[in-house]
Formats: sequence, structure tokens, C-alpha cells
Amino acid sequence: MNAPDRYERFVVPEGVKKVSYERDTKIINAATFTVEREEHTIGNILRMQLHRDDNVLFAGYKLPHPLQYKILLRIQTTSQSSPMQAYNQAINDLDKELDHLKNQFEGELAKHSREY
Amino acid sequence: MEGVSYQRFPRIKIREVKGDYMKFELRDTDASIANALRRVMIAEVPTIAIDLVEIEVNSSVLNDEFISHRLGLIPLTSERAMSMRFSRDCDACDGDGQCEYCSVEFYLRVKCLSDQTLDVTSKDLLSSDHTVVPVDYSDASSGFDNSTNKGIIIVKLRRGQELRLRAIARKGIAKDHAKWSPAATVTFMYEPDIYINEDMMETLTLEEKRELVDSSPTKVFGIDPENKVIVVDPEAYTYDDEVLKKCEAMGKPGLIEIHAKEDSFIFTVETTGAVKASQLVLNAIEVLKQKLDAVRLSDDTVEADDQFGELGAHMRGG
Repeated sequence: MNAPDRYERFVVPEGVKKVSYERDTKIINAATFTVEREEHTIGNILRMQLHRDDNVLFAGYKLPHPLQYKILLRIQTTSQSSPMQAYNQAINDLDKELDHLKNQFEGELAKHSREY
Repeated sequence: MEGVSYQRFPRIKIREVKGDYMKFELRDTDASIANALRRVMIAEVPTIAIDLVEIEVNSSVLNDEFISHRLGLIPLTSERAMSMRFSRDCDACDGDGQCEYCSVEFYLRVKCLSDQTLDVTSKDLLSSDHTVVPVDYSDASSGFDNSTNKGIIIVKLRRGQELRLRAIARKGIAKDHAKWSPAATVTFMYEPDIYINEDMMETLTLEEKRELVDSSPTKVFGIDPENKVIVVDPEAYTYDDEVLKKCEAMGKPGLIEIHAKEDSFIFTVETTGAVKASQLVLNAIEVLKQKLDAVRLSDDTVEADDQFGELGAHMRGG
């Protein structure tokens, strides 16, 4: 009866920002990114990509509750970088990785269809 | 300032493509990417499915909502789905979701006039768009008898019963409702790395070797003509640990070691027929890219932080 609408899971409501950023008040170079209407798919790839960054001291994400359709991504970096820089870098790298993946796949597919 | 790139260059090797089915290897990346691809294929690649049904006449034995539900579950060919609009962001039709950019109309008009039971199937659905039609499973390679395959049965009618309706199909994703899922199964497994300690294996009798080979529930190991234990099919291994336990029980721990390679995955993709398996993977990559693009920081967020940064520096006495 009081179940939330299904679209609530993936449609960002009007007036709500997809990504918001909040600095940590006690630790320098630490911040929490709140990503609306995303879950493990995005959270986990961002976290793992951030772990590859040598300037990232901490990166973790959580899905606070199954009915709160958002994830919290927390990043702490060294003074060489900043959470925002690390975050942008992670997205850029993942984007390029997927571009590469797409080209690889298309190449393989063309090769495969030629063989048969 | 620009940071150093930590980008990876994954490799793909396709083993088999067969319309709705494909198998490929993904290497030089981690489980997060493999799992993201799997999750996107299952729940976020859009397809087209019947979403609204207006029933004109229904004198069949099934009630209206039951038939509507069955109609929704029929896979429709969805090559168009990626370029179509979601009816919620369609501005051509004031959000009522009934224009050509975001919907496809179907009609079904069937009446049984004979004493023979009449099967109403997905083939009786008449589409307003020839690119969006119920998936045809009468493919010669499917193994079904072609002459009897007439599509998916919706309802059966006896003499005098009639079903007349109009249905609207829309673009959607399986996160909304599972009827929009293009995937029948999508799985990946870690490629196993199997190591046999040959020196230790030498100390076993042929009888013991046979026992060891037979201890695996799947056929992973075999014995070659020279009576040596060899790996026949590493991918048959289900990570059940049975052979390892057997080694242990024989008092020979370390005789066989099996590790999952952390950066090598074997994918199996099967679709409902809404899109081809190879297209599903490509669409999944595209959807994942769009999702990543959507989580980029917006300019006003960055600006707000810059001001905050100055304020912070000021407060710290900088």
C-alpha cells in the first residue's frame, strides 16, 4: 500500500543534484560524495578505480539503506591530490577503459563474423 | 593540474556467438568491471515491452489483468530501444506516452468460431511498427518443431469467446520491472589456475591417481596414456574443493593447488531474443558509460567548493 513508486529507484527527483560533495570538517583532503539514484554498479567500480590511485589514502562506498536510493562515496587523499581530483580522474580512467573495451569487443566481433 | 592516468587496457576474446547466446573471455581488468557489466546487462539495458493495455472485449477464461500481465512478459524485438525515448522524458506527447518517439501500438483481435480450441499467441499481435514485433522463436536451429511453433500462447479460446484489445509498448529497464530485462542469463566465472605438483604426483600409485581424478564431481582431471594426471578441462572446475580435500585425505597437501585468477573472467550471455547477445554486451558498455558520465561533478558543485576552499584557507590563516 505504501510502497514507493518503482521509478523512484532510478529517476532523480526535480531539484535534487545527482552528485553532491561535502568536505570533511576534521580531516583535510577528505570528502564524501553523495550520488543520487546509483548503487553497487557505480559505487564499486569507482571505489576499485580509486584504489589504483597512489594518492588515495582511503576510498570506500556504502549503500546506506535499500530504500534510500543513493550511495555515499568517501575519499581521502594525500596533499598531492584532492578528493575531487581523484574522483574526476577515476571517472575519466573508467570512461577510457570502457572505450577501449568497446573497441576490443567490436574488433573481436568483426573477426569472429568473418570466420564464419 | 592533471593527475597521472591509472587506466587499464582490458582484452576480450570471443569464443562463440550464436544469436541469443555468446561466450567470451575478459582479461586484464578486475571483478568490479566484470560485475558492473553483468549487473547492467541484467537490469539496465533498455528494451521494449507492453506497458499499457486497453481491453475492449474479453470473454476468455482469463481475467483482464492476468492477460495484461502475460502480454507484458512477451519479449519484443528491441534493436530500436537504445535510440528510443523513455516516455517519461518525451516532450512530443505531453508525457502521456503515446507518440511514435516513445511508444509502439499493438492490436489484438481474435474470436473463436469453431469447435476446436483456438490458441491466441504472440503472433496474433499486430504491431504499428515493423521493427518492434514479438520475438520469433521458430528459428531452425532452436530444435523445436517448426510446424507446431506458433509463438507464445497468451490465452486459449473456445467457441464464441473473443479477445479484442489495444496495447502500448514502451521503452523501459529491468530495474523498473523484470519484463524489460533483455537477459535470460548473464554469468561470469573466474578462470581457475590449476597447478599439479608433478614430483609429488609421481609417488602415487595408478589406483590412487584414479581415485584422485574421480574425486572431482566435474571432469576437470584425466589420466594420459603415460599414466600421468593431467588437467583436461580447467573450466569444468566449480570451486568445490573436492580434489583438494581428497589430496588432504591422502596425506598429500599441496599435491594440487587451485587459485582463481583475479583478472580473468569467462562470461556466458544468453538473451531473451529482444536483442542479439553481442548487441547486449555492446549496449551494456554504452549504458555503463552513460551512467559514469551522469555522475561527473557538475560545474556549480566545483564552484561552490572553490569558494569554500578560499574560506577554509582564510580560516586556517592562509
